[in-house]
Amino acid sequence: MKAEKDQKSENKIKKAAFGNALAKGDIWVKLSTVIMGAGYFARKQFVNGILMTAVQIGFILLVVLFGVPSLSKFDTLGDVQMEQTFDPLTLQSTMNDYDNSFMILLTSVITLFFIFVFILIWIWNIKLVYQLQLKKERGEHINTFREDMRALVNDRFHITLLALPTVGVVLMNIIPILVLIAVAFTNYDQKHMPPSSLFTWVGFDNFKNLFTNSITISFGYAFRKILGWTLLWAVLATVTTFIGGILLAKLINNATTKWPAFWRTLFVIAIAVPQFVTLLLVRNFFANAGIVNTICSNIGVTGFLQNIGLVNPRLTYIPFLTDPNWAKAMIILINIWVGVPYQMLIATGVLMNIPTDQIESARLDGANKFQIFCKITMPYVLFIQGPALITDFVKNINNFNVIYLLTQDVFITSDQLLANSNAKEVDLLVTWLFRLTNEYYNYKMASVIGIIVFIICAVFTLLSFSRMIAGGREEEYR
Amino acid sequence: MKKKLLSLALAGTMVAGMLTGCGNKNTPSQPSQPQQSSAPEVSSQTPEVSNDDIIANLIANTNGTVQLTVWASEEDQEFTLGRIEDFKAQYSDVDFDITLGAKSESKAKDDILVDVEAAPDVFAFADDQIMELVAAGALQEVAATYTFDVKTANVAGSIEAATIDGKLYAYPMTADNGYFMFYDASVFTEDDVKSMDAMIEAAKKANKKIAMNVSDGWYIYSLFKGAGYDLTLNDDGTNSCTWNAAGATDVAQGILDLFATGVFVDMTDADQATAISAGTICACVNGTWRAETAQTAWGENYAATKLPTFTVAGQQKQMSSFSGYKLIGVNPHSKFVGWSMILAEYLTNEETQVARYEARGLGPANLAAAASDAVQNDPAISALAAQAAYATPQRVGNQYWVPAQTLGQILASGNSDGTDLQTLLDNAVDGITAPAQ
Repeated sequence: MKAEKDQKSENKIKKAAFGNALAKGDIWVKLSTVIMGAGYFARKQFVNGILMTAVQIGFILLVVLFGVPSLSKFDTLGDVQMEQTFDPLTLQSTMNDYDNSFMILLTSVITLFFIFVFILIWIWNIKLVYQLQLKKERGEHINTFREDMRALVNDRFHITLLALPTVGVVLMNIIPILVLIAVAFTNYDQKHMPPSSLFTWVGFDNFKNLFTNSITISFGYAFRKILGWTLLWAVLATVTTFIGGILLAKLINNATTKWPAFWRTLFVIAIAVPQFVTLLLVRNFFANAGIVNTICSNIGVTGFLQNIGLVNPRLTYIPFLTDPNWAKAMIILINIWVGVPYQMLIATGVLMNIPTDQIESARLDGANKFQIFCKITMPYVLFIQGPALITDFVKNINNFNVIYLLTQDVFITSDQLLANSNAKEVDLLVTWLFRLTNEYYNYKMASVIGIIVFIICAVFTLLSFSRMIAGGREEEYR
Repeated sequence: MKKKLLSLALAGTMVAGMLTGCGNKNTPSQPSQPQQSSAPEVSSQTPEVSNDDIIANLIANTNGTVQLTVWASEEDQEFTLGRIEDFKAQYSDVDFDITLGAKSESKAKDDILVDVEAAPDVFAFADDQIMELVAAGALQEVAATYTFDVKTANVAGSIEAATIDGKLYAYPMTADNGYFMFYDASVFTEDDVKSMDAMIEAAKKANKKIAMNVSDGWYIYSLFKGAGYDLTLNDDGTNSCTWNAAGATDVAQGILDLFATGVFVDMTDADQATAISAGTICACVNGTWRAETAQTAWGENYAATKLPTFTVAGQQKQMSSFSGYKLIGVNPHSKFVGWSMILAEYLTNEETQVARYEARGLGPANLAAAASDAVQNDPAISALAAQAAYATPQRVGNQYWVPAQTLGQILASGNSDGTDLQTLLDNAVDGITAPAQ
């Protein structure tokens, strides 16, 4: 009974809103808005008080020493160009106190992020202090520091566990993503490379460029073409490897197949070889002067393909990786070869878990093997692997390795509008993005494309996940 | 109360920050003016104080260890290491700690531009990267020289390649990075190699091919520039290009005609290497890096010469080329700019260039080193020297490469879509002259 009451009062305390806390709090709660540790000192939680105040002082120092110099230049991202003077007599060179736009951007974003986090902590702190006040008023027990610490390894262990990953996510994901988003609104490119030159805000100009198509800026055209191929590729690559994997697994698991373990091992070996080695080798096999072309021309395949019009009669080789259509088909075929073993392993696991009673009863009802495959096996596999398929789809949108390694330095586009935007027919958004940054230092457009890729992936993932998993479909299937 | 104080303090620092920001705004324009005018003054003063005194002074003022990082290509490691040891021995009064890193000259900018402040103090690079390096503030101007006069010691073309806006930014190291014609003398006579038409006739008789990587901006320039159509770089990093001017379609037609013979083929450098060894091609437009392959395959018949003429609307036009030099640059962000400059001078002086030719067969940019009999008798290097008269330094903005490559690809594949040549050239020029996105 008492426990229940405790629970209720606990709930009430948790619901204490920030405004409420501020209005109804006593002098110590109000003082906590300025000195964050004040509320703890009043309740004799000295260690907590010192820690909170230390956090506050640390934050203020951080902002004043580190943030303010950058934030003050955040509106222009710096205006002092690097100047260097060299004295030929003493062989000494001196630099002026120049602004580095990127450092200003980076430190400003970090500072703004910390300010945001600090505001959350500040609000949370006031609520907490108010809770302490309420507890004190009711004469409830107030934890000592030691008890608070112990709680972190016991009933509040999830907080301890999540602390490290959260810090990691903030440092490795959130801050870089925020910087990336910010870069999309600047003119950070080869002409504006820090430290020797400054870059500044340009608003939505880069986004406009991406969707416009003038004579000189063919980005819009290139973007549409590449987006189309990216989506087509993602669908084809996912579907072909998925179906290929299931068929291969069925084949190996078939009762009439001899030495199934041997075959499975053989395919797994394909995984063991690093993918980029395989892809680079395959690229050489299918080169214009490569071994496959030599064989094809010796046995007359090249001539046959020329006769039926699949290969330009002017060529002495099959343009496996140099003609847009051939290259697209080859990329998908090679991807099947590289990707099927993975899918086979997954499908093997799933197929082994198909409830045999269903198949048994279907067979008794007179269903043939094909019907069983279509009506029982496939729906089951699709249900189990649905989320994995979506992940694969998103992964394929960003499948850098296969496309880049197979076509880089080999494929030359003959579409002049694409060429004018440094793109190729076989590019995915992500490989285009890579070359823009890596070869052309066009960070601003790369950021814009990065944001677009992110939105596309997010939309697809959310839509499909919600359709596949939401609405109690699990029960429906059972 | 405390909160108010805090916000006041914050506001105060912000205002202070803004003030310094504003105060600095005027400074860059001011010192830049006197700096430029003072530069000649200083150089006119230099003769009064001898260079030896300056170096002695530098040695006297150097305390502690001089830490330098040097980048040279993978193949140049052993040689450069030896020269660095000699350098240390020459300035034995100073404590040097020199680290040598391996980085291909053609890729130097890729890593340097990522973080100029962390880039090596002294680095070798190919001259086509000089504009981007200068734009990124990664090259120290060679405002004065101390151990020899870089400008007069090296071949004029190399100085031109190392100069931007009248300022010398690097030390020429080799003059062997351009392209010319390799040929098999058993197929061609010395008269044949003067014109592409004669070469094609001779190659046809021998049932062999002539290779040139036309689907590469670096090589296709040779044909358009040779016919008199210009490609130049503007101050803002964009290109000016006249490849679609009146009569330029004749050049495109000329290139189509070359490929229509079936003898003239488009091949990458790697494919050319295979084809030379396999004996399917008997001549190719390529650079000194292929000399060894050609020499091995053709033996005594290995020969090289300047590029031939080709036919444009019935007239013979001499093919042009990009001249290519390897340079050594100094990072202005170096803590020891002075010593970096002296080391860069040392790594490019006559003695080093002679030694580099002897050790590695790389053509010297230094005039005295290039005058030796050994260098004069080297077919590849003398072919390059003969081509130098028709070569121009590579001054091209980044937007050039992909559109030019695609133009080459379309012409090499015989313009199979039948696009109007003028449209083709207009599109290419649109891409080449486009502002960087």
